[in-house]
Amino acid sequence: MLSVLIWIPILSAIIIGFLPGKVVPASRVRLVSLTIAGIVLLWNLFILLKFDISNPGMQFREYLPWNETLGLSYQLGVDGLSILMLILNSLLTWIAIYSSDKDTHRPRLFYSLILLISGGVAGAFLAENLLLFFLFYELELIPFYLLISIWGGEKRAYAGIKFLIYTAVSGALILATFLGMVFLTGSTSFAFDAVSTQTLSAGLQFILLVGIILGFGIKIPLVPFHTWLPDAYVEASAPIAILLGGVLAKLGTYGLLRFGMGMFPEAWSVVAPTLAIWGAISAIYGAVIAIAQKDIKRMVAYSSIGHMGYVLLASASSTALALVGAVSQMFSHGLILAILFHLVGIVEAKVGTRELDKLNGLMSPIRGLPLISALLVLSGMASAGIPGLTGFIAEFIVFQGSFSVFPLPTLLCVASSGLTAVYFVILLNRTCFGKLDNLAYYPKVVWAEKIPALVLASLIIFLGIQPNWLVRWSENTTTAMIATIPPIEKTIVSQVALKQ
Amino acid sequence: MVQTPDKPVTKLPPSQHEFADIIHRLEAGGSMLPDTPENLMQIIGIYKAYAVPMDFYWRDLLYIAEQEFLNPFPFFKYFISQEYLDRHNHYAGDDADLRIWRGEATAHPELLAFMEKGETVKMPKLLHHLLHDRINMEFAEACMRAMLWHRQMYAPVNQFDAYLDSEEYKANADRAIKAYFQGNPVMLGMYKLFPDMFLEQCRQMSYYSNLGLFWEVMAPVFFEMSDIYDEGGFKSVPDAMNFLVNGIFAIAGRPIYHHVYIRGECYEIIPKSKGFTWLYEAALPYVEAVFYRTAPFRGTKSYNAQAGQVPDDQKDFHYGILYADVFPVGTAGIPPTLLMQDMLHFLPQYLVDYYQKYCRGEEDILIQLGITFQRSMYNVTSAVIQALRTALLYPLDDPNPKHLQANREFFEAQLNRFTRTEYNMRNAARLRDIQSQDYR
Repeated sequence: MLSVLIWIPILSAIIIGFLPGKVVPASRVRLVSLTIAGIVLLWNLFILLKFDISNPGMQFREYLPWNETLGLSYQLGVDGLSILMLILNSLLTWIAIYSSDKDTHRPRLFYSLILLISGGVAGAFLAENLLLFFLFYELELIPFYLLISIWGGEKRAYAGIKFLIYTAVSGALILATFLGMVFLTGSTSFAFDAVSTQTLSAGLQFILLVGIILGFGIKIPLVPFHTWLPDAYVEASAPIAILLGGVLAKLGTYGLLRFGMGMFPEAWSVVAPTLAIWGAISAIYGAVIAIAQKDIKRMVAYSSIGHMGYVLLASASSTALALVGAVSQMFSHGLILAILFHLVGIVEAKVGTRELDKLNGLMSPIRGLPLISALLVLSGMASAGIPGLTGFIAEFIVFQGSFSVFPLPTLLCVASSGLTAVYFVILLNRTCFGKLDNLAYYPKVVWAEKIPALVLASLIIFLGIQPNWLVRWSENTTTAMIATIPPIEKTIVSQVALKQ
Repeated sequence: MVQTPDKPVTKLPPSQHEFADIIHRLEAGGSMLPDTPENLMQIIGIYKAYAVPMDFYWRDLLYIAEQEFLNPFPFFKYFISQEYLDRHNHYAGDDADLRIWRGEATAHPELLAFMEKGETVKMPKLLHHLLHDRINMEFAEACMRAMLWHRQMYAPVNQFDAYLDSEEYKANADRAIKAYFQGNPVMLGMYKLFPDMFLEQCRQMSYYSNLGLFWEVMAPVFFEMSDIYDEGGFKSVPDAMNFLVNGIFAIAGRPIYHHVYIRGECYEIIPKSKGFTWLYEAALPYVEAVFYRTAPFRGTKSYNAQAGQVPDDQKDFHYGILYADVFPVGTAGIPPTLLMQDMLHFLPQYLVDYYQKYCRGEEDILIQLGITFQRSMYNVTSAVIQALRTALLYPLDDPNPKHLQANREFFEAQLNRFTRTEYNMRNAARLRDIQSQDYR
């Protein structure tokens, strides 16, 4: 059942890429990939429908022995942590394909790479085996590199290489840690439930956890490792930016939760205070740097860094509520970032610039881009955490869940959420408001271009006023995860007591 | 009468003015608007589209001035009686005083068709009104009020305005007010307590009448121009301008008055015998008030006294159509939108086809026609400037260089209104923009 999510995209990627032009003409490639992505999305919704919320463990498990000597087996499963991420992945893939340019050059390669990524990401979210996860995780690397450096903006070569190197380092760190986990514990298999780090000494656990944090921290990204992000997001074309921000960043936070928190509960409680402060710094840093930007896509890119900081804070807090908040934040961030990148892409395509100093008056009803501007206002508000939209729900759960454990970092994150409002107001003020330049004749936005934004906007509003649909999937799984983690207050207190 | 000379006047050295090209063009009998077939087609088409709502405007303005008068609750002032729709325009039809348009003297058929069906379907007038499927009469009232609030602008020349403050006017108004509220002790008591309140309303009604009489002339002029163009009569923009100039002189002496009808009896608040004439008491104040000045748009300027964006002196107001930024038409706080929407219903097909080809085609037609309207009003203003020059100065083919110099100084003084730097007027003026066909 779950394999469908992985193999339909990957197989069709191969088919689209290699079938002769007679079977699938180049002009039809977009339509064909859109259909495939739609089928995958429907299948994913079907799985969501069948998903048993009361069961905290893995569901729909699949097992195939593969390479027993390596400990590598084809093991899949889905739980409350990954089900939303899977939906996000298939939804954003569909939207990315939909919002791609109708006459993209080299469409075969373009769409097969996107489908390849979609399958790979689904695989990573579904994998129940460390090595299998790593295989799928590395599968993103090259397609994204190609997508950035072939269809990107002016500095695409630089951005592509930077992305490639950073992600490769991240992969290496993760692989090293996974190997360490298995060899040090003497486990015979890479399967999740076979690896138990509880037997290791505290020092070893700590070192391995740091490996996990650094590896996934590059991907999330956390602050000192984030410098690939603005370049990659800005140089990537709109559909690729949607996938990068919406899906790839989630892979990082998902890895952190699944392998960091899930597999090193004791060491996790030791590093948690550091992580909380780190998350808060990331959030503040992202917001402050976004304020200074002159390019709207860069602003949105930095907003992503800021919002990922909340996820880190929530995972560090390790309360049941905070963890639900983390998952919700991942999902809503995916939606919000996708709509923002889509809208920014339209603005750039129609107006021909992303400069804050040149954009003006897009709200103008007749000559401007009124609907796009209105949606931009809506998604800016969602991103800044205005009640009634999904961003607020996620952030509020995160804050509510984290405050009891880490009051100061939580307050810092609240402040950064205020700063988010600051730069989004700057962005909206400079782009949507004001007066159109005379002699500005922007092409009109056709309905087909508005549809992805409308779909995302309605989801953002719906989940904002009916948040139960956002949180119900992960509640039981996260509660079960938290149960294994020693309470953090006690850890801090005992450390302080030890030092005395 | 203005004659376009065969070759440009070369008796004077070239002008050093920054709009020297335009001044040379005016001296050669041209318009501020460049003479291209495209411009001619645009301005004539928009004259037509403007004239149909104008045919409603003037009828309703006179209806309000003469019938509604001081009605404290004028809920139905835009529902004009059949009598006013049938009212014969004095400048059209067989019984015209001075026949300008060869068509019918009653309301224009396109207007009647629109009033019946609007953009939707045939339904009672009240429903059309409530669904806002109607002529935006508020625009006409805004123009009237612009004239009212810019009173005293032509102080020495304009007699009409000064008359509104005279004892004679007050006595006339007093009789009409008392007659109007006869048998209504509340309003009569109010009038006793606050006579100025009613008097000022009465002055406003006189301006309703003034503007109504002004547009009674312009509507047939524009209809006729459209007909002449359709027949192939106009070959160039100066031809169209000269038709306006000739029309201005032909009509200059028509009376401006204010009559009120109460219970079938006519009260002459401003009698025709005062000798107020169309050119000096309606046309020139209108051009000054509406083309040049009006009031700052709520959507573009801040009325904040500390910000100092709006001039202290009304003579520095520069918010008329010659300065207006038409691009935000359709946005909140931009009054000309009302007129643009009115004209939209009556565009001739050739203009619709023309707009389809540019910018966003059908979608931003409101702005494209607004810019066309701006071009056409530059042509009307050119006609006024040429008419003034004919009336006050010398012919364009005058052999005396001193006379030509006087003409040039007059033209330069007129164009200097578009180059003043106070309040950023210079950048607001659209004279430079309309020189290019790319401004659309």
